[in-house]
Amino acid sequence: MRSNIFFGRVALGVYLIIFFGYLLGPLLVMGLTAFNSAAFPSITPWQCYTYEWFGVLFQDDRILNGIKNSFIVGIGTVILSVSIGLAASLVLTQIWPRWRSTYYTIIIAPILIPGVVLGISTLVFWRRVSEVFGGNAEFLNNGLFLTIIGQSTFIASYCMLVFVARLQRFDPGLTEAALDLGATHTQAFRKILLPFMRPAIASAAVLAFLASFENYNTTTFTFGSYPTLTIELSQMVRYGINPSISALAVIIVVLTVFAALSAEVYRRRSKIKSGELKPRKGLPAWMVGNVATILLVLLSFTVISMAYTAQAYSPAECKAEYREARRLENQAKIEALRAAREAARQNQAPVESGPQAPASQGAGAGAFGNVFAPGNLEGKTGQDEGEVDTAPPPASPFGNVFTPNNLEDSSGTKGN
Amino acid sequence: MKKPKLFAAYFRNNGLLLGGIMLFLVSVWIVIMILLPQIFMLDYSFRPNPVNLRPGEMADDYTLKNYRYLVFGPEGASGMFNTVDLMVFVRTIIAAMLVTVMNLILCYPLAYYLGQSKGTGFLRLLVILLVIPYWINEILRAFALRIIFGDVGVLNGVMMSLGLIDQPYDFINADIALYAGLGYAYILLMLFPMYNVIESLDRNQIEAARDMGASWVRIHRRIVIPHAKPGIASGMTMVFMLSAGALAAPQVLGGTSSLWFTQLVYQWFNDTLNWQQGAAYAIVLLVASIAIVLTFMKIFKVNMGDIGK
Repeated sequence: MRSNIFFGRVALGVYLIIFFGYLLGPLLVMGLTAFNSAAFPSITPWQCYTYEWFGVLFQDDRILNGIKNSFIVGIGTVILSVSIGLAASLVLTQIWPRWRSTYYTIIIAPILIPGVVLGISTLVFWRRVSEVFGGNAEFLNNGLFLTIIGQSTFIASYCMLVFVARLQRFDPGLTEAALDLGATHTQAFRKILLPFMRPAIASAAVLAFLASFENYNTTTFTFGSYPTLTIELSQMVRYGINPSISALAVIIVVLTVFAALSAEVYRRRSKIKSGELKPRKGLPAWMVGNVATILLVLLSFTVISMAYTAQAYSPAECKAEYREARRLENQAKIEALRAAREAARQNQAPVESGPQAPASQGAGAGAFGNVFAPGNLEGKTGQDEGEVDTAPPPASPFGNVFTPNNLEDSSGTKGN
Repeated sequence: MKKPKLFAAYFRNNGLLLGGIMLFLVSVWIVIMILLPQIFMLDYSFRPNPVNLRPGEMADDYTLKNYRYLVFGPEGASGMFNTVDLMVFVRTIIAAMLVTVMNLILCYPLAYYLGQSKGTGFLRLLVILLVIPYWINEILRAFALRIIFGDVGVLNGVMMSLGLIDQPYDFINADIALYAGLGYAYILLMLFPMYNVIESLDRNQIEAARDMGASWVRIHRRIVIPHAKPGIASGMTMVFMLSAGALAAPQVLGGTSSLWFTQLVYQWFNDTLNWQQGAAYAIVLLVASIAIVLTFMKIFKVNMGDIGK
């Protein structure tokens, strides 16, 4: 029996590790690529620790412009979809029972309709409407307007669900009492319903903003001449990328973690205030003995110290070393080639067009180059420097580091 | 007539101003944002493309040729059917179903574990960890998987340095990256509805069943799954609809030789600029996925009202 429980626990642990590895592993890897100096986002040929991609990110006008558009769209979508969602949920509580399920089906449908369909239908519909108005309704074809409308169509459904959940705990007797005591409907709404709904409104607004910020499927049809951040990212991902995208992801993840931890700290604090939780003894008062606070402080400290060292830190030296290692590695290869040719008794050794010379493998250099190969230094002394510029980069991601002949050949050329 | 009376009750309950605003917002949403655009798109899909009209055809005429194109291909084509596009369609639907089932299997144990454990700090940490990936852009999430599955990606690097393979394995063209990416993108939409319903299950029921000697499998089959059915249906519906209609993951992670149906729609709109044809394809996708969801809901006896809870 006991071994059974033990087995169950191990299985659960393994399962949790796999699940969270699947969920978080890709983000972790992407985060690491932001600090690798390789021009293509990758970690396996680790070159140099660098902050340069953050600099590249902040100088990219398209990204900055995309962020600006995303914020405009996000704010518009939040306003529109929160108010629609609130109205729709209030109507849902009052609608005639006979119509209720039809009504619910219609307002839940936008969640289930594929995003591309929503984008297309919005585009087609407003194009028609602006045709009806003739030339003086150009704003109806404006990318920002269309994107806000298209996104709100389904984000309002999300908001509506949040409000419905909260409304289930609302006591309509409160509003009735207020009305009986002479409050107007607007007063009752503002003084009673709205304060009760405030937490739900806050979470619906956050949800709406996030959903709008990351939306791609709908926006890709409606953005017109106002590409949002997601659109810019998708174009970067498809047509040539560098790790500045990863740098952006790192920033988003850090902000997310920061927000999540702050929310947790806030929750704990209000619980302690209301007496539900007791603060642990022996800790400073601001820490109120919970893990989230400590993590939050640690995170802030890490970010600040990283930003600070980024001012002074320069990977130039490491990069020079890396280049040197690559150069030596190439040289070793050239010599290997040359030795092979010599052995075959050929007078000419056209290194540039050699059959083993692959082109354009810039990013695929070995992680450690040939730095540690003993033949390297010897080979270097035996050769003139002129060969280096035309040398082909190494073929496989690991260069020829692991092929034994490499060393023999390069040291063999020394004798020539 | 009853209706005016009911409207009067509505305005008596809410006041003229508030009731008016609410009614206005809801009708704008339902009529102008949901219903009319779909109707216009449907209408659009039956129109010929004004750029390549046949002789005697007007741009206002109704025609079935956009739909005919999907099934039979261009007029005068050699084959009987438009096999390329039809295969893409079938593949999209089947793959979306596979992704849905995969997510269900992956999420059910965690949903059960989270739902049945008492709320400790560890659990809250797990929930925070779950939500973080969901806040990251869909494109960035797909891109993260591309870093892992690419030719010079992490997985190939690790496997090659371990000596498991000596050539990079092409995960992208084998569609492994795509399926992993689709599952990844919508996994939380499967997890949270299930978690919500399992959380509401009374633990005593499971205890009682266990005391009476029910096996582990039986407890799940007879108690947990029937109780969680609305959540499972809700999660599966959302994951299926969203992955069938996904565009970001296929564009970033899809192989060169295999397309997702939404990519065809995208091409008609943005590359070929034949909006009418694109609208027809979008309608086919919409109708097919709704029909599939409704069929499955009928088979498993789930109501529409359960979705989204």
